[in-house]
Amino acid sequence: MARSSKVAASQQRAGLGFVSPSVLVLLALVVYPLFYGFYISMFKTNLRNMWNFVGLKYFVQALSDSDFIHTISVTLLFAVLVVAGNLLLGTALALLLNTNIRFRVVLRAILILPWLFPDVVVAILFKWIYDPLYGLLNFALTSVHLIDHPIVWFGDSNLAFSAVVLSCIWKGYPLVMILVLAGLQSIPKDRYEAAQLDGAGLANQFRYVTFPGLVPVLAVSVILDFVWWFKHFTIVWLMTAGGPIDATKVVSIDIYRIAFTNFDFGRAAALAVIVFFICLAFSIVYRRLVRDTEV
Amino acid sequence: MRLKGPIAAAVGLSILGMGLSACSSGSPSPSGSAGINSTTPVTLTVLSPTVVEKPESVVEKGYADAYMKLHPNVKVEFVGVPMNDAYAKISTLATGGNMPDIFVNSPEFSSQANQLGIVADMTALLGSDFMSGFAKAPLAQATLDGKVQFAPFFTIPTGLLYRADLFAAAGLTPPKTWDEFEADAKTLTVDVNKDGKTDRWGFAMVGTNNGSGGSRFIPVMRTFGAQELVKDGTGWKTSFNTPEAVAAFKLYGDLVNKDGAVPPGPLQTGYAEATTEMATDKTAMMITGPHTIGAILAQNPALKGKFASAPLPAATGHNPVSVLGMLGWSISQDSKNKDVAADYIKFILNKENQIAWNLTTGRLPARTDALEDPQIARPELKGFIAAQDYAFTLPNVTYYPDLQVIAANAYQGVIQKKMTPEQAAASAAAKTETDIANNK
Repeated sequence: MARSSKVAASQQRAGLGFVSPSVLVLLALVVYPLFYGFYISMFKTNLRNMWNFVGLKYFVQALSDSDFIHTISVTLLFAVLVVAGNLLLGTALALLLNTNIRFRVVLRAILILPWLFPDVVVAILFKWIYDPLYGLLNFALTSVHLIDHPIVWFGDSNLAFSAVVLSCIWKGYPLVMILVLAGLQSIPKDRYEAAQLDGAGLANQFRYVTFPGLVPVLAVSVILDFVWWFKHFTIVWLMTAGGPIDATKVVSIDIYRIAFTNFDFGRAAALAVIVFFICLAFSIVYRRLVRDTEV
Repeated sequence: MRLKGPIAAAVGLSILGMGLSACSSGSPSPSGSAGINSTTPVTLTVLSPTVVEKPESVVEKGYADAYMKLHPNVKVEFVGVPMNDAYAKISTLATGGNMPDIFVNSPEFSSQANQLGIVADMTALLGSDFMSGFAKAPLAQATLDGKVQFAPFFTIPTGLLYRADLFAAAGLTPPKTWDEFEADAKTLTVDVNKDGKTDRWGFAMVGTNNGSGGSRFIPVMRTFGAQELVKDGTGWKTSFNTPEAVAAFKLYGDLVNKDGAVPPGPLQTGYAEATTEMATDKTAMMITGPHTIGAILAQNPALKGKFASAPLPAATGHNPVSVLGMLGWSISQDSKNKDVAADYIKFILNKENQIAWNLTTGRLPARTDALEDPQIARPELKGFIAAQDYAFTLPNVTYYPDLQVIAANAYQGVIQKKMTPEQAAASAAAKTETDIANNK
């Protein structure tokens, strides 16, 4: 008995030893910035020599500011559209890659490429593609006589929003594709055989075998993707900086401007805290809505 | 399983570590403080936005190389940051306690830098004699509450840059009013190769919603008599919401939508894109500073000698307006190499270096000995030099950069026809009043 408790204690110490580095990194890189952000949000501060306590003033201000509510709604729409696009395109390509097509390995490598590009590169590439005078897109459309005059992609609110969403889908679909492909390959083949024996066509096989088997993977993909794109900054900032006239102003751009143009770090931190809670609420609600079914 | 003790210890250690790191004033310099004539190795870090631009980078790196030859113990390292990101970078470095020895400063940023307490005593470090060698207007705008915030490096007064050859061919003279400007812009919008499509436009508008766009619009608006921010007895006020400002917003909208004198896509045309439009013979005029000449010639040397400049046009009954567009150098309060930093600044501001800077980049010197040199008064710079007389002092508020973005958002609304000029002016005024209220 004494020997077994000694072994257990030793195993416990060993376990703690193994997890301690990760715990320390988590504390330093996740917990500390989180709590520090909460702390800053209660001050009018320049983070150096001005710390005027304001309590919850910035939270009340943000939640009663119609501009901020509009920004949140733009961000929600942006995130929903990008996630939906990633899901559809990623799943479709994953289904394609899960078949025995020729050059599947090469195709998979090519289809992952967008994800490997840094956000900055993607933004600059698409900014030039959409350029009204020198852009590839207008050149291609004019060459096939689909348009007579160059389209000013970022000159119209709706066009600019769509252009940014499409660029983000191009960048984001490979992650969903890889996750779904892994999910597809974990679905036992005998289920498909059983479905075929029961006379199920492709559509019914997808509905009754593939989709239920993918639900856990899709749940994770949607949560990760939504949180990622809700907080996204780089591509939108570099392509449109939130314009024209705030049509693409996602909340991260608002936070950046308040912090680094107005130098109002407390107010920016308050908005960041609100974004944190929105993402947290989404992941909790979504997990409850999606049942992790055993197939 | 009893985890509380070890976990608590781990948390305590991490907080202690974080507290120690928060207390430190940044990474230690590899060198201690060393005088100018010392042999102790010194690394001087310089945060500069011009070192990432062409052709400025060649000259600026040349300064560093020349100084390092004179002082072999000194190593000059640049932290290059684009101008639109410079203030954010400096604020971040300041809050992290990681300031470079020398950093760029300006009238727009000096309030914020002063509030952060990151600027050393420039007069004490450079000496009163040296300070008296600056031109009056730049030195006045570099001074806040009686303290010189930075050593002025150059000015790029906002004016009208235009293609003198195209003007001569069309029989035009530089516009003095905005009506003349609109007419000239329309005249210069032509189908050069006669294929039925316009391929040269009259005006390269910087229409992005950032400091580049807003800082060009605000002087235009001021030529109509409206001011983005003005201080009266009761505090800061805005006159964005006045008929004069409405006229300025209307001008921007008309140039694009009525006159067709601006290339497609003004809302995504930033400074770099507008400069390229001038360099590729797509446009004939641009509201900018003399530095654009160097940037254009770097792309297309064949355009040398074809540019001229003039002060901005003005509304009838009003004078031209300009912004000095000045940048200068501040020494960081946290610098361990203040003497060496001051010596380096004096070196790059000597007459020969200032003239060399101007000859390559077009940016005007801030030192009187260089300004009075005949080499500076080149034909293409005369208009910009004259524009300096109309320069206004930027309001000393920490949120001034946001006012430029507010103005830019408003004119974008007019150009996109989502807002009337009146609505744009009202929107800009409301946002400015919010900024004023948030900073009382």
